[in-house]
Amino acid sequence: MKIAFTTKGTEWDSPIDPRFGRTDYFLIYDEEKDELSTVDNTEINEVAHGAGPRTAQKLFEQKPDVLITGNGPGGNAATVLNQSGIKIITGAGAMTAKEAYDAYKKGEL
Amino acid sequence: MKEIVVISGKGGTGKTSITAAFAMLAGRNAVIADCDVDAADMHLLLQPDYARSEDFYSGFKAKIDQNLCIKCGKCKQVCRFDAVQKIDDSYNIINLDCEGCAYCAEICPVKAIQMVEQNVGKWYISQIKSEAQMVHARLGIGADNSGKLVAKVKKEAKNISQETGKDYILVDGSPGIGCPVVSSLSGANYVIVVTEPTLSGFHDMKRVFELIQNFKLPSGCIINKQDVNAEISEKIVEFCTTNKIDIISKLPYDETFSEAMTQGKTIIEFDEENLKNILKDSWSKILLLTDTH
Repeated sequence: MKIAFTTKGTEWDSPIDPRFGRTDYFLIYDEEKDELSTVDNTEINEVAHGAGPRTAQKLFEQKPDVLITGNGPGGNAATVLNQSGIKIITGAGAMTAKEAYDAYKKGEL
Repeated sequence: MKEIVVISGKGGTGKTSITAAFAMLAGRNAVIADCDVDAADMHLLLQPDYARSEDFYSGFKAKIDQNLCIKCGKCKQVCRFDAVQKIDDSYNIINLDCEGCAYCAEICPVKAIQMVEQNVGKWYISQIKSEAQMVHARLGIGADNSGKLVAKVKKEAKNISQETGKDYILVDGSPGIGCPVVSSLSGANYVIVVTEPTLSGFHDMKRVFELIQNFKLPSGCIINKQDVNAEISEKIVEFCTTNKIDIISKLPYDETFSEAMTQGKTIIEFDEENLKNILKDSWSKILLLTDTH
């Protein structure tokens, strides 16, 4: 399974970015391959409008099964994501990516 | 560090007056972020010193280099916004009409059109009269508030609060449910909706609540001018109870708000006890709710 996290950095210890549309990075963990990769989304700082759908498109291209984030995505992003079939898990806003992964595995998110 | 965001849906419900009062109650323990940039008014009450300022760039507009232009008129043909005007023999962009789509720049056979990033205003870091730091912005005429600007203001406020070890960021969000509001809610820990018992007040509150639900954020409601329409006031309370929105407080219609405002004061600094006490209780309640969620 591929799990994506919205993060403020590029490592397991990076804090989760509670925002979806304006998250700085995505951390993608491929459980089968035990591989961690990152997607740089910092260019979104320069986007005035429509950050949500744009970031949703970027996430969609990674084809993850699950997204772990802080707050739920806003209206437009949620519409895009609902069609993608990606499972959205919220409530990890105050954790690091690693903590969020562990909490998810234990069914605590 | 927790982020408390105040929004209203409808404009004119008293959101900024109430947020400014909370800013005074929070004292030096909070960083204030004014994200209601279209009609930024909080500075009137909090008197920032504009200590640091920086230009804000957002969006692009087309610019024709007259020395390169061969006057073929293709830009005028393709522009969907009628932003290209032929004056005498030269083609010019009307800045207010240009939407920055770059179609003209793409189609120009001699590459005479550049897309230029626009300086649309300034953002500031100030000290306000409570000695707290405030991040705020001022836009030029015709410039619009955006998620980008709100994200910028909130990011600076976050940096300051981290550097100086503050517990709270208090955000004055903008009315409506558009892009700037989405951006102001994003990353929040607790949302306060200031509403009023009018048809439009209730209607807009319901719409903005849809947005809050999307973000799965805990929220509370302040009903301002609650005695203006008892029936709608009751409906708002019902709506809050059904949707698990905390009812923080109800404020009476009181012209003291405007009297204080004309003197450039928040209600906290004004010689009046009733409103002040309600607001003090409200703020304690909000801190408690924010910390327990």
